Amino acid sequence: MSRLLAACLVAATFAASYAGQNPRQIMEEVQRRQHSDSQHYEGTLEVIGNGNRIATKRWVFDRIGAFGNSKGMLRFTVPAEVKGVGLLIINHTDRASDQWLWRPNIGREQRIALQDRSTRFFGTDFSFEDLEERDVAQFDYKFLGDEKDTWKLQSTPRKSSQYTYGYLWVKKDNYTVVKVESYNKKGLVRIIDYRDFELTKGIWTARTIEVADVTRNSRTTLKYDKLEYNLPMKDGDFTLDALRRGP
Amino acid sequence: MTGLLLFALLAQIFEQRGFIENQALFYPQTAPNDSAQAVDQATLRWDASYKIAPWLKVSGALDARADTHRQVDRAARLDLDDRTTQRPALSLRELNATIHKGKLTAEFGRQIIRWGKTDILTPTDRFAPKDYLSSVVDSDFLAVPAARITIAGANDSLDAIWQPWFTPSRIPLLDQRWTALPPASNGVTIVDEGARYPGRGQYGLRWNHIAPRYEYSLSYFDGFNNLPLFNASFDPATATARAQRFYPSMRMYGADAAVPLPWLTLKGEAGYFTSTTPGEQDYVLYVIQVERQVKEWSLVGGYAGEAVTGGAGNPLSFTPDRGFSKSFVGHATLTIDVNRSLTVETAVRSGGSFVRLEYSQAFGEHWRVTPGVAWIRGDMTDFLGQYHRNSYASLAVRYSF
Repeated sequence: MSRLLAACLVAATFAASYAGQNPRQIMEEVQRRQHSDSQHYEGTLEVIGNGNRIATKRWVFDRIGAFGNSKGMLRFTVPAEVKGVGLLIINHTDRASDQWLWRPNIGREQRIALQDRSTRFFGTDFSFEDLEERDVAQFDYKFLGDEKDTWKLQSTPRKSSQYTYGYLWVKKDNYTVVKVESYNKKGLVRIIDYRDFELTKGIWTARTIEVADVTRNSRTTLKYDKLEYNLPMKDGDFTLDALRRGP
Repeated sequence: MTGLLLFALLAQIFEQRGFIENQALFYPQTAPNDSAQAVDQATLRWDASYKIAPWLKVSGALDARADTHRQVDRAARLDLDDRTTQRPALSLRELNATIHKGKLTAEFGRQIIRWGKTDILTPTDRFAPKDYLSSVVDSDFLAVPAARITIAGANDSLDAIWQPWFTPSRIPLLDQRWTALPPASNGVTIVDEGARYPGRGQYGLRWNHIAPRYEYSLSYFDGFNNLPLFNASFDPATATARAQRFYPSMRMYGADAAVPLPWLTLKGEAGYFTSTTPGEQDYVLYVIQVERQVKEWSLVGGYAGEAVTGGAGNPLSFTPDRGFSKSFVGHATLTIDVNRSLTVETAVRSGGSFVRLEYSQAFGEHWRVTPGVAWIRGDMTDFLGQYHRNSYASLAVRYSF
């Protein structure tokens, strides 16, 4: 009897341990391992429509702060006609981000309204919402099972979003997100693949991100260059005034 | 090796961009004072900035222009103040220094200053004279010499501007189609007697507040209208009319706001304008507009209104800002893909209307071709309608670098 009890206890402990790999804990571990106080990279984007490369763009991205409470500044450097165009992203822990777009040829910043976040960002397959960084606390998660060396989770946004839910695949060995499928009421909208992982300053980072817009048969590849973490940055370089002032 | 390192360092703090553009305009109709039906103009613009120190940046922009219609001065000199009736062949479009320390940003020199939140018509944008030479319905901004101090916090910013030297809007030339002369002026020789410019500077203040669900600004301006009134005299003996431009004093009390709602964004902007100059009216200009993104369409629509509160007014004036009021205005852009877009802009009022349609396509990383048409209808008593002979087709080819 006592052996049976012991076996039951072991089984219960194992079950608890498996349940301990609950989706929220997985995502909190993902976020903990991705934590940095700042990030800088130069991104090269290739937009591919109907199998042909139709545009190349480059931007420089800086972020200060960590998940959910960070600020990001993105500036195009190539092609020449969009050079200087900037996007300021102020992420919040309790709601969707605030975003402002700066176009040098107009000379005024424009607030990107919440309902406009599903719009493609400058013709790429990223939407404005895809560029914001949300805290795990802003989603509900469901564990869907194991797939090879990954866990498959379902995420449902608690706050306003163009997506109704999404699937995430998290690698078991290093807690990196390797794929995201995002759905709206009509079905699958975007597939994001994370590839070419490298360890940079102790953080496993995908050096290539491919976003496919399923509804348009178009995809955009973003490659990270000159990636740095925890560089010293100033809060004052992430304001509307800084957006207008330029780099 | 040292040279390479120095070059790499300089490349990080020196930024430049620019374009060469050729634009051809085709007018199906001639105008009483302008028989030309095709105009070609070329522009080279070069913007550069150099970050001398983390807190100090110098920026400048040069324009070089040529055209077939004498809208561009042929004299080979560098223009520094943008006060000429013709566009200068070579002009210093911008030259300014930006000092940034903590929450303070100070900009000194020639710079483009934009205020306000609405599009198509922006009543509070008082430091932004325009160039109306080639088209009254599609104009470019001019820089002004000014000192601008901005104190910016996380949610609030205060902008203080002092412009010691007046820059007028560049109005259409008297002998060209965008100056619509009344039929009674047939046979009359019109002589441009130049301009009387204000003798003092102008200044303005703007406070902007950003909240989670809205943002708004309050602004004040004390200076002069950059659009002129005219003093005119007529000599019947020689059938000669002489016109001199002058710029009425202006005080503006302005406000603008943007409120993102669940289905659309509501924007409003209003300015109350007073003047001590005889012949200038006191009035309110306002714009209410809504914006909405529908898939790849960006839609803006609204109403621009005007209410005169005092003064008799001067019939001899050029006031496109008030001319666009009492109109339903709209702007729509379709992003077809990363390289192609379509833009439609319109203003419709009781006496006249215009629609401008542009298709734009990029080729590779540098080239862009933009064909377009502008259709203007109405009668001579209406600000827009008086240009009913000036509907045009355009073709612009731009190389950006």
